Amino acid sequence: MTRLTRRSFTALAGASLGAIATAPLARPALAQAKPKLVVIGGGPGGGTLARYVQKDAAGAIEVTLVEPATQFTTCFFSNIYVGGYRTFESITHGYDKVKREGVNVIHEAAASIDRARREVVLSGGRRLAYDRLAVAPGIDIKFDSVPGYSEQAAEVMPHAWKPGAQTRLLTAKLNALKDGDQIVMVAPPNPYRCPPGPYERVSMFAHVLKAKGFKNARIVVIDPKPAFSKQKLFMQGWEKHYPGMIEWQDPKMHGGLKSVDAATNTVKTDLAEYKAALVNVIPAQMAGRIARDSGLANASGFCPIDSASMKSTIDANVFVVGDASIAGDMPKSAFSANSQAKVAAMTIRGELTNARTFPARYANTCWSLIETDDDIFVGGTYEPGDGKIKQVTSIISQDNEPADLRKRNYAASVDWYTGIVVDIFG
Amino acid sequence: MSARARPHQAPAPTAGLALTLVICTVGPGSLAADLEFGRYLAAECMTCHRSATATSTIPNIFGLGRQHVAAVLMAYRDKTLPNAVMQNIAGRLSDEEIASLALYFSITMKP
Repeated sequence: MTRLTRRSFTALAGASLGAIATAPLARPALAQAKPKLVVIGGGPGGGTLARYVQKDAAGAIEVTLVEPATQFTTCFFSNIYVGGYRTFESITHGYDKVKREGVNVIHEAAASIDRARREVVLSGGRRLAYDRLAVAPGIDIKFDSVPGYSEQAAEVMPHAWKPGAQTRLLTAKLNALKDGDQIVMVAPPNPYRCPPGPYERVSMFAHVLKAKGFKNARIVVIDPKPAFSKQKLFMQGWEKHYPGMIEWQDPKMHGGLKSVDAATNTVKTDLAEYKAALVNVIPAQMAGRIARDSGLANASGFCPIDSASMKSTIDANVFVVGDASIAGDMPKSAFSANSQAKVAAMTIRGELTNARTFPARYANTCWSLIETDDDIFVGGTYEPGDGKIKQVTSIISQDNEPADLRKRNYAASVDWYTGIVVDIFG
Repeated sequence: MSARARPHQAPAPTAGLALTLVICTVGPGSLAADLEFGRYLAAECMTCHRSATATSTIPNIFGLGRQHVAAVLMAYRDKTLPNAVMQNIAGRLSDEEIASLALYFSITMKP
């Protein structure tokens, strides 16, 4: 191992600082003009980022948030809505407070990004100049990753993995089921938004059917993965609360998904064919269109970032946060996006106003409800390391915990939801 | 690097550890009770704690005494207070980070 003296360390640090100083970073065009930040996407990543820059820069940066929806329904806690524990309105939020805080919110879609001119082109043709751009479009569904599936098929076999009308459609179909009806879920391959989400959703399906007193309900999960998040805890919970109702199949058990057919509500695997009253297809995913069309994604379909800043490794004037980014060991979750946005917001202020910056640090916790008052979590803390965002600590709920602890977990998750939506939407 | 700098730890005379010492000296770990650093670190706490009420499971942490906040965070770090989520969050905090957070929360009211 090479021994580093203090002198050689200083030299290395000097070289590194020199490299940063000569990077082609855009500066505000006019010395007098306020630097401009444009944020694309008003979800957990984009909303948090816009608000934190607006709040901490105290007017020194002009912040514009581009989000077509005037009301944003959160994907997190949408399973809790499916399970009947919350109303749709309670997971839907507006931007009035974000606007009152001084962020310029434009309810229009971002059509394209002209990275050479540092401009965002809106769907109506208007161009927004930026000194820094943050891209937080979330995921797009890869409809063609499931043979037979399409945007049209999703009207019959909802994915409900982007919140809104799809979530309501899935819930309506669930609530219309009769005893003896079968549900089939096609689970997604990695990486995807909310790793425990499909299994919490299965739990919520089972909860609704059990609460109706159904004795002959059956839920089959066709999974392309050999294992999934919090698997042991979910399976223990399913056995405890819904014995015999849920059948999870890994690839060895189903032999591979062959196709789905929306006309007949049929799912074919290598080994069987299922005709179901409700089919929930959750396909593979990729970064939202605007990130891919702008050349910010790599061959994986997601966007590489610098782990110390959430800055795109493709364009030094662009940051990518949330589900669209390749965030190393961090799962794609609202909590992760919110955490990443704070690191990006700090870095952007450092670059545009010379504000002090500190080493990046990230955190995440994902709670999942299995049955009323039986809630489990998995979480971690993260820092830059080994060329990625690396997990440094982890926690997970334990087997057979006392019921009161699981009940407190759920109460904590509800409090977390209350807190994070204020962090995002004001 | 997770720089959990211990204030009374004597520097070892090897070049490798000298490098660590340099990083700690210029990094935030050595800045005891740095308010701005505390404000940055506190952003992580906001996600869950910012909307706490008197009856919520997640408690209010704004406007508390410095000593109290520091003692509670250290107890979570040392796992003498139960709560896996908080033990996880506090587990990587250095003494200086805890001091900075305690200062920030002692003088900041809930937004």
